Amino acid sequence: MTPPPVFAVREVEFGYGGAFRLTGASFEVAEGEILGLVGPNSSGKTTLLRLLSKVHVPDRGEIRFRGTPIGAVGRLALARDVAVVPQEEQLAFSVSVEELVLMGRFPRGAGRLFEGPEDLARAREAMALAGVLDLGNHPVDALAGGERQRALIARALAQEPRVLLLDEPTSHLDLLHQRHLVGLLRRLNRERGMTVVFVSHDLNLAGELADRLLLLSDGRLVRLAPPREVLDEAVLEEAYGCPVWVERLASGRPVVLGVRL
Amino acid sequence: MSGWGRPGGSGGASWVALVLAVALTGLVVGPRADAGEVTDMLGRRVRVPDHAARIVSLAPSITETVFVLGEGDRLVGVTDYCDYPPEATRKPRVGGISTPSFEAILALRPDLVLATSESNYAEHVQRLVSLGLAVYVIRPVDFETVLQSIERIGAVIGREAAARARVASMRQDADAIVRAVAGAPRPRVLYVVWPNPLIAPGRGTLISELIERAGGESVTGAEPLPYPRLSLETVVERRPDRIIVGRHGQGTVEELLRGWERLGSVGAVREGRVYGVDGDVVHRPGPRMIEALRALARVIHPERVP
Amino acid sequence: MISRRRVGAATVVVAGGLAVAGLLGLATGPAPIGAGDVAAALVGRARSDLAATVVLELRLPRVLLAALAGGGLAVAGAAFQALTRNPLADPAVLGVAGGAALGAVLGHLWGLEGSLAATVGLSAAAFAGALIAATTVYLIATSGGWLPVQTLLLAGVITGLFFSAVITLVVSLVDFAQLGGILHWLMGSLGIVGYRPVAVIAVGTAAGSAMVYAQARALNLLALGEESALQLGVEAERVKRVVFVAASLLTGVIVAQTGPIGFVGLIVPHGVRLAVGADNRLLLPVAAGAGATFLVLADTLARLVVQPAELPVGVVTAFCGAPFFVYLMRTRLRRRTP
Repeated sequence: MTPPPVFAVREVEFGYGGAFRLTGASFEVAEGEILGLVGPNSSGKTTLLRLLSKVHVPDRGEIRFRGTPIGAVGRLALARDVAVVPQEEQLAFSVSVEELVLMGRFPRGAGRLFEGPEDLARAREAMALAGVLDLGNHPVDALAGGERQRALIARALAQEPRVLLLDEPTSHLDLLHQRHLVGLLRRLNRERGMTVVFVSHDLNLAGELADRLLLLSDGRLVRLAPPREVLDEAVLEEAYGCPVWVERLASGRPVVLGVRL
Repeated sequence: MSGWGRPGGSGGASWVALVLAVALTGLVVGPRADAGEVTDMLGRRVRVPDHAARIVSLAPSITETVFVLGEGDRLVGVTDYCDYPPEATRKPRVGGISTPSFEAILALRPDLVLATSESNYAEHVQRLVSLGLAVYVIRPVDFETVLQSIERIGAVIGREAAARARVASMRQDADAIVRAVAGAPRPRVLYVVWPNPLIAPGRGTLISELIERAGGESVTGAEPLPYPRLSLETVVERRPDRIIVGRHGQGTVEELLRGWERLGSVGAVREGRVYGVDGDVVHRPGPRMIEALRALARVIHPERVP
Repeated sequence: MISRRRVGAATVVVAGGLAVAGLLGLATGPAPIGAGDVAAALVGRARSDLAATVVLELRLPRVLLAALAGGGLAVAGAAFQALTRNPLADPAVLGVAGGAALGAVLGHLWGLEGSLAATVGLSAAAFAGALIAATTVYLIATSGGWLPVQTLLLAGVITGLFFSAVITLVVSLVDFAQLGGILHWLMGSLGIVGYRPVAVIAVGTAAGSAMVYAQARALNLLALGEESALQLGVEAERVKRVVFVAASLLTGVIVAQTGPIGFVGLIVPHGVRLAVGADNRLLLPVAAGAGATFLVLADTLARLVVQPAELPVGVVTAFCGAPFFVYLMRTRLRRRTP
């Protein structure tokens, strides 16, 4: 018996009260899948992540998490399964990297006021995986953009999730660390069966990493398909509203070269 | 933060509670009055020594009374505001009238504390009683009760005869003044307790009563609150013939009533009948009340009272 | 990593400081009672009736009140700062102290004083006022189920101003003779206490502080922002509500007795945060102890400077607090602002 999809989204609509509105989104995220959310600015990508992590409740429609309506899933239970790496975070007070990562242990010991040695061990493992183990005592707000992002990734990993939601995880990373991150996500997916949903404006990186791409435009789901189908000039032009130049490599892999002038 | 339940004021509940508490205690202890147990002007039972040798006064009028009865030596503590007679300024201080220092009072080891319902707080009296002190409270709210207060203090400190004599002489002087101004037309008088904001004496206050006795008609004497805050318009509207300001050592009348020259329609201002009196005398319900009466009468009826 | 042991050790150190401050407070006053007399009186072997009465009936309840009020206000301030994710928040800024003060003023005018029931009633009136203020702020600032920080602070300031205006209105209508007492109380005062208000405040601050401390770990996560806290499993709205009520309870119970005392809730948590970090599990107990010590010392100073008269303790905290606050703001501006 196949497990239910991690996320099943049906006819979901959501708006912030302004002009923008996410409409009629229906799709599923399968267990062990890597799904990339792409599309122009303000197309609803981050909003979708927020709906999946129960930060917002849809105005219409339904989201099911592993078969259960997400409204019936407790926040702590969800947080033990799904970890979110935000694009950025405004910290009100200064904390060290280690303290930040330890916060990821909250869902696994919320009843207790203090973390235990087990929590510290898991946190350190996560920091090692993300490459920030030696930055443990540094204050987070003193870190460069890339290091900060890796600290956030470490925190997400410390939750011991089975699903990772990432919002623009490579936006502050240099090429080397982008490679590292892509490698890490692939490893987690292959070795641990981690389901990954990530938002990216880098179409090529998204195409390389994802099993499927979900293309959003102006709040509507325009295409949900493997990268080869989505990274197509006609499809992209309609979504982005400008001519796009896509070449295919010998292997058949599409590469987006930019806007056609 | 409480009062004794004056008309129109609140805090009456605390006064009632105080009286009830002590009365109930009295029921338990027994109704017979022990030697040395007296009833003060609030109906409280107080156990006073036959000859109190260490007296603390919690108000200037009380200090003046004790001195006038010749027992200033027995005062061991007075408030910061007790400045009359001059010997009082040499006595140890126990704090303000509404901010007494309990420690300072206790440290003086008094055997009798004298308080007044008009200025001291019920809370403080309760506290002093709970600390084991004998507190006798007077209630000088009007002319008669001021005289009674002097007599009661006299009785409590063992100078009853002197007190009676004093009060009798005060009555004589008062009667003389009242006779002197009898029959004369009553000028409309505005008394200024404080100029800015304008605070005047209302119904039931000693000052209003003194003005009446002095042959004047207080234009604020019908106000329901004892010391209402009024706008300058009242000054114009009520057309006083005389304006009297209670001064407390600072500033001339012109300085205090700066700006009032504009009120040209007011008879008192136009004719220059604006006077100052010593606020320390007029506002204290004590032995110098007759001086206050005389000062007011002199202003209101200069032709009849020299 | 914060551990139970580290918190325990810090609490012991801070308690030691408080004990020293307390002894200093007990040894200060117009009555000629020195440290030796104080110690003797405390162990039940007072050297004189006067010493016993002054130390046990006058100074001890007052020092206890100062400690409880200072600790409670510091915890309330830390709680509000965690809630609003802003180090400038405290019961006064958010209008909660104003609401409590109005509740207490109305309670006093209605005659609530004297008995134990009345003291509890007065605290309840102040708590009610605090809660009304807090709820008003909450309702003004909430939209669509969210409580954005900026609107919260603005709503708090406006609510505080409104309640101040109402208090001024009440004060202007009050009889002249009562005016002095109310104005004195509005400046913050620790005077005229027996053990009854101390007991009521002890219960209130214990309850309120416990409620806040139970949420300490969740409050830490709130500092990441609403979104991240929710995604980490924190029921943010519920936590905010509980802490709001607890901090209002603390403010109400204390203001009912002492009048509004400012700056303690603002600068103590701030200063402690600079010393031990922002983790509320450590910050809250240390701030409580530091706040208690601070107010005991401030009250001792208030009683010393113009002996035998007393300054209102709110004046001392303002004089100490305002310059320190300016210093904090300037160092903060040099670093990153959140």
